[in-house]
Amino acid sequence: MLLQRYTLMLLGVCMKYLKNEEDAKDSVQQIFLKVIVEIEKYKVDYFKSWLYMVAKNHCLMRLREMHGKIPAELHDSIQAAADEPTLQSKVANEHLFGLMQEALSELNKEQQQCITLFYLEKRSYQDIAQKTGFSLMQVKSYIQNGKRNLKTQLEDAYRKSLEG
Amino acid sequence: MNKDLLNILSNSNKDINNQKLMDYVSGRLSPEEAHEVEKLMADNQFTNDAVEGLQNIKPGKDLELLADQLNRDLQKKLAEKKRRKEKRKLKEEPWILFAVALVLVLIVVAYLFLKKFPNL
Repeated sequence: MLLQRYTLMLLGVCMKYLKNEEDAKDSVQQIFLKVIVEIEKYKVDYFKSWLYMVAKNHCLMRLREMHGKIPAELHDSIQAAADEPTLQSKVANEHLFGLMQEALSELNKEQQQCITLFYLEKRSYQDIAQKTGFSLMQVKSYIQNGKRNLKTQLEDAYRKSLEG
Repeated sequence: MNKDLLNILSNSNKDINNQKLMDYVSGRLSPEEAHEVEKLMADNQFTNDAVEGLQNIKPGKDLELLADQLNRDLQKKLAEKKRRKEKRKLKEEPWILFAVALVLVLIVVAYLFLKKFPNL
């Protein structure tokens, strides 16, 4: 069954949010059953993204039941997961390359350093942490935020080029 | 360099192999292999959350066993559900039972009739 290919990943997602192994295991079972019921009702085009959304929503509901509220950071990440346009198809690669270099130079120093080490020098998180003295969590967040900033800057530049 | 710079914009939705995922979590990958997994993490929030969550599980736990157990439980639940559904179907459609009973009664009546009047 296709669903079972993602069991381990679902367990991981539930562990991340619920932070308790028994809760996480129960939740994976409940998500399985929910997916089996829901998939018959809707036309699902992107199974993996949809599965992630179902899993995350389930964990948020469990958290709300347990604590009565949702931590703010979770709201943010749900929105961030929703927008995934492919910029590469919009702008010709040559032009994009110039814009990328410019955008990269405008990132703050930490993000620029981590993005360069990660994407251009292909270092692992661990390597980058050792080299820069940042913690693993910092490295990860500099890379993810840097990547998001690069995208935003490029989208702005693209919009401007359309207007101008 | 050109290609690498543009790769930053990719949003790969590529699946990560379960063995790679477990090896990464337990720190058994080379720096190059770890970088490949991390690239998938940076591209895809599902993969990133999965790795962060699995890192919260006590070290030394057999992740493969945990996943297998969850899969087995799912199969068991599905089989049970199917059985219940079939049982409910009989309850919802009592005419099936009625028809079966009627046929049985007819067979018995015919048998008795033939026994009583063997010359017919």
